[in-house]
Amino acid sequence: MVEKADVAVIGAGPAGLAAAIAAREQGAERVMILERAERLGGLLPQCIHNGFGLLYFGEDLTGPEYERVFIQRARKAGVESRLESMVLDISPDLELTLSSSRYGYAKVKAGAVVLAMGCREKARGALGIPGGRPAGIMTAGTCQRYVNVEGFIPGRRFVILGSGDIGIIMARRLTLEGAEVEAVVEIMPWPGGLIRNEVQCLHDFGIPLLLEHTVTFIHGETRIQGVTVARVDGERRPLPGTERFIPCDCLLLSAGLIPENELSVRAGVELDPVTGGPLVDENRQTVVPGIFAGGNVVQVHDLVDWVSWEAEAAGRNAARFADRGGIPFRDQVRVRAGENVKYVVPQFISGKEEVTLHLRVTRPGLKATLLLGGKAFKRYRSVRPSEMIIEKVDVGRLSQAVREGELRVDCRMGEVA
Amino acid sequence: MSYTETEVLIVGAGILGAATARELSKYQVDVTLVEKEVDVGWGITKANVGVVNQGKDTLEFRPEYHRSHLLWRSLSMMEPLCRELEVPFRRVGGWEMCWDMKAKEKLDKLARRTESLGLGKDRFYWYPELKEMEPNVSDRILGGLHDPDIAVVNPVYLTQALVENAVRNGVNLMLGTEVLDIRPGHHWFEVRTTGGDFRARYVINAAGERVDKVAAMVGADDFVLFPVKGYVGVLDRRLEGLVNGLVSVLPERPGEMNVIVPTVEGNLLFGIQLKINRRGDHSTTAHMARAALENARRLVPEISEKDVINAFCGFLMLRNFEIGWHECEVGMSSRVPRFINMTIGYPGVSASPGAAAEVVEILQKDGLKLEPDPKFDPHRPGIPDFSRLPERKRRELIRKDPRYGHVVCRCETVTEGEIVEAIRRGATTLDGVKHRVRAGMGRCQGGFCGPRVTRILARELGIPETEVTKKGGDSSHLCCRVKEILREGREGG
Repeated sequence: MVEKADVAVIGAGPAGLAAAIAAREQGAERVMILERAERLGGLLPQCIHNGFGLLYFGEDLTGPEYERVFIQRARKAGVESRLESMVLDISPDLELTLSSSRYGYAKVKAGAVVLAMGCREKARGALGIPGGRPAGIMTAGTCQRYVNVEGFIPGRRFVILGSGDIGIIMARRLTLEGAEVEAVVEIMPWPGGLIRNEVQCLHDFGIPLLLEHTVTFIHGETRIQGVTVARVDGERRPLPGTERFIPCDCLLLSAGLIPENELSVRAGVELDPVTGGPLVDENRQTVVPGIFAGGNVVQVHDLVDWVSWEAEAAGRNAARFADRGGIPFRDQVRVRAGENVKYVVPQFISGKEEVTLHLRVTRPGLKATLLLGGKAFKRYRSVRPSEMIIEKVDVGRLSQAVREGELRVDCRMGEVA
Repeated sequence: MSYTETEVLIVGAGILGAATARELSKYQVDVTLVEKEVDVGWGITKANVGVVNQGKDTLEFRPEYHRSHLLWRSLSMMEPLCRELEVPFRRVGGWEMCWDMKAKEKLDKLARRTESLGLGKDRFYWYPELKEMEPNVSDRILGGLHDPDIAVVNPVYLTQALVENAVRNGVNLMLGTEVLDIRPGHHWFEVRTTGGDFRARYVINAAGERVDKVAAMVGADDFVLFPVKGYVGVLDRRLEGLVNGLVSVLPERPGEMNVIVPTVEGNLLFGIQLKINRRGDHSTTAHMARAALENARRLVPEISEKDVINAFCGFLMLRNFEIGWHECEVGMSSRVPRFINMTIGYPGVSASPGAAAEVVEILQKDGLKLEPDPKFDPHRPGIPDFSRLPERKRRELIRKDPRYGHVVCRCETVTEGEIVEAIRRGATTLDGVKHRVRAGMGRCQGGFCGPRVTRILARELGIPETEVTKKGGDSSHLCCRVKEILREGREGG
């Protein structure tokens, strides 16, 4: 038996919930969230710190509070959900195969699909840290789940590799739990997280942040005994003679997030090699007709508020797609990342409608100017790779900036910090 | 002092100990298998690329070597054994390739010798033809010799299956049991272990990395082994199909092999950087990682650093390594009667069925009475692999047990049903689950499923989650409940 849904949303984190609500509000009859975990909310329940919803609600909420609002809205909107259901495949005609302990092996035929699978953290293997293979090495997010959801502390003495937001939030959380955080080790010359997190989680607790350092060796065979930390040069290679041993019984990894797109690739979705997420147009449609994407599966955001907004756009357009039996992929204009711009999302636009550009710079700096098509668009006092730049561009500005089907985006620096 | 008596005591549940235990379980004889780790196949066996049937490499396997004969004897045994035990066996074929004419002459010589030894005929393909079969190898390759018999197995799966089947047929397995001392007597060996004392008529020493240490306990260590560490990298499953079979080139420098090989699970392994090393040190080094990746990229340029999801180091115990004449030590000690050493070095997994059969013959010849056991059951059912099953089978499985519908490890699509079954078969740790059903083996390396598998292990074993370990001993992932450190601090201060 094949069930039918107008819009099927894969993932019940902040992106999936927002997309599903938006799809219902846009008029989609049957909206179904497919979630592999046992509850809705994605990773929000383990994010018990505050800072959620400042932009979206104008309120400072914790992860679970933010989640609760969206779950209630989804219920009210009549969104259906299938928990403990893992989507194994999406066929070209949008038939989803799922496996579930509750519903068995099932098929759902969807009018449109929203990818909202979020992202995962880089593991040790991907970071290529040499040394032994003991217990006591985990990503910051896994540790966060152990501490905040399962109620366990994985160690007493921590070193954190990478200064991503989850890592530094866990540095504070573990300190509050009575554990020692010996150091946060960051290979880049600048921190990887938001300024507010750096101040509130590291500075306020006196936790040392070692910039331009990395872990060069892991000691221990059964349980980790410590790590060797070394300074790195401009090419991020460890400098001989700068090594020192830091004892610890747990190493947390917070060195980057990767959008989770294995399912998308199997469905024929093309990825942007820089973001790791699907190539999308301003409607958040991917190159596969009827498959939309929103949230961290597209690009790793710093704030959940933007995850929700992006996913709402994906959900709304998925509903329109299902209703009309298709909306064209807008690839009239290719958006190109230029000088000091790491990426821009969406990668394709029509050029005929107002668009919101999401971008990250490659290097931090002061007195930066954002240029569209070579023309100054906006000036900033400072820019940082860890803080996403989001700008709405109207049709008038676009028509001036687009040349030969291309919108070039640069971020020129006055002086480098 | 109280002793447990056993006819045959096997030290070490690696591939050799396991194969021998299973071979002996065909007879009515009392066998005890002791293993110092909390699971089987975790030593040398685990850190292996899984290539079997490489018997035609007659430059490596000369007819004057004992190990060559063990290997050749095993060639026809491996596939039926894997079938009986429901262990995946894939005959992928293998290449020995070369960059230039000088190396090609070596390959020609190899082909002639293989043929003259009656081991079959391998064909040489020049690059344009080779490209048809392995389109992703570098176009700088001149050509290669193709051996269609090369296959891959997962040596840990094979070891687990052998032990499960041996236990099913009456072998007494003792895990977490380390041999501390052995004293030879006139009729019995007295074996002191961390799990109690034994009296055994025969001792089979298959202690892997510690084989010479165990032999030294009775003075049967009249062979010298060099611990040679090998580095192997693991590539993302996304690259499945980048090479179809074993791809290797003749070594250009000593101390390194350049092989890329698909595993039965669909990942690719690459390596092997070799280095004489202090034993017990299984750490990878940046230098080995770099060199192995460089080699792999030279052979298959499409491989990138981004695709490396893991790496490990294992040991080969190579006898006579210093004179380049690697030999095995399989047989009755010339010094200590009824004490049998088993160490092969390379290729231990491939030669294991033949070595086990030979050891049983040695025991028989020495007078051990081996009556075939009429109740012997050669079959061991495999653990269902949900991710590779066709739709109909998946539905069937979920209908019978809904836990097979619950995907716990998302990277490798491993279900709760498989994890529970792995635990039922003897997994007691996170690594035990991982090496049976691959939960945590994928690109996120257990980031997502780790806490969930921990919970399942605790539930199924009836222990608190803080007692669940990665690999036994002090390798628990969790140290205490939240607030406990704070409480200790208050009480202490």
